[in-house]
Amino acid sequence: MIEIKNAVMRFEDSNALDGVDIVIPEGCAYGLLGSNGAGKSTLLRLLSGIYRPFSGEVLIDGQPVYNNVPIKEKVFFINDETIQFNDMTLSDMRAYYKRFYSSFDDALFEKLHSTIGLPMKKRLTTFSKGMKRQAAVICGIACKTPYLFLDEAFDGLDPTMRIIVKQMLIDAMLDNDLTVIFSSHNLNEIDEFCDRVGLMHAGKVVFDRELDNVKGSVVKIQTAFDRPVTREDFSGFELLHLESTGSVTHIIAKGDRETIRSSINALSPKLYDEVPLSLEEIFIYEMEVLGYDSSKLDR
Amino acid sequence: MLDIRLEGKAPIYEQLYNGVARLISSGRLAPDEKLPAVREVAKQLGVNPNTVQKAYAQLEQAGLIYSMPAKGSYVSPEIHAASAIRAEAIRRLEVAFADAISSGVSKEEVINIAEKIWSDDRNGGNS
Repeated sequence: MIEIKNAVMRFEDSNALDGVDIVIPEGCAYGLLGSNGAGKSTLLRLLSGIYRPFSGEVLIDGQPVYNNVPIKEKVFFINDETIQFNDMTLSDMRAYYKRFYSSFDDALFEKLHSTIGLPMKKRLTTFSKGMKRQAAVICGIACKTPYLFLDEAFDGLDPTMRIIVKQMLIDAMLDNDLTVIFSSHNLNEIDEFCDRVGLMHAGKVVFDRELDNVKGSVVKIQTAFDRPVTREDFSGFELLHLESTGSVTHIIAKGDRETIRSSINALSPKLYDEVPLSLEEIFIYEMEVLGYDSSKLDR
Repeated sequence: MLDIRLEGKAPIYEQLYNGVARLISSGRLAPDEKLPAVREVAKQLGVNPNTVQKAYAQLEQAGLIYSMPAKGSYVSPEIHAASAIRAEAIRRLEVAFADAISSGVSKEEVINIAEKIWSDDRNGGNS
């Protein structure tokens, strides 16, 4: 289990993380979303033991990660940068990880490698961005760590390779009860794959939810009444947004679908049309309610 | 392979649940037929295996499927479980019709819509 308790990370005089609390259960696929500079990579570096938190706690299986070799052996971090491997071949890279991770599985490496088929004897500096990423992914999965963190991991991968990587992760989740964190600034990329999603903004976690509870929880309703309506006319559900143009009123409502419907029908609308919202739209409205200007988010 | 496509904005486990329930109630999955393993479904659709597990667990709870330890999940032989799905579909249809009629939709419009959906499904589906 991952527990981050009031973690603060400070660089020079600014807070890269400003009091982050997240709990991620074992076996979870967690999506960490946010714009560039929101603090996603900093959080993953803390979880990988690269940084020591300025204050607060970053625990894996109940123990602090920083300077803790047995815990760090349970974690694999697929980073944005593979520069340190430029002079190595994939074969060298495999030997390098095998030294550090006693759980490294040669047979699994062979199997993953045969799916992707990268040159073993060429230096990584000759690889494209996508190839470097694939090399890091197969090494990471072959290490069979219970925790795998992927920083913008799908970025350099083409659609076919994304499917292959997802399938590798599915096997690892079922075979090793892998806990995986993906960071991304693209919601759609990780939408189908995550159990939970955390949205970061300016060093804080704006929200952290189970995806199934988020989806379908908010609806957009297009309706029309024969008199002007205000927020006070509606009760029994959370009204996120109310906007009237001419005779048509748009409502963004959160809560039980039937309750919302009967509450609005009680006002005898002349029109009632319900549209489920995409996850992205839900996030945008919820951000607005929390006082964030969603136009500043990189979507 | 399950003949399920993920689209729309509903939670994925719900789409999976409804997809399998429909395959059962329409008879495209026969009683005692083995369902594909969680791993296979997750890989086919590119979704989280936990989500597939959750959908299977709920199907089992609803009596639509049963599982045999270390063997997998099978379609329940009891037809009434599937007919409960039909009954629920009919109930939803009645609500939708009542809603449409009270909003001033004419009988002809309702029938036209029903016929259009019927023929779209026939042309677009695998049946």
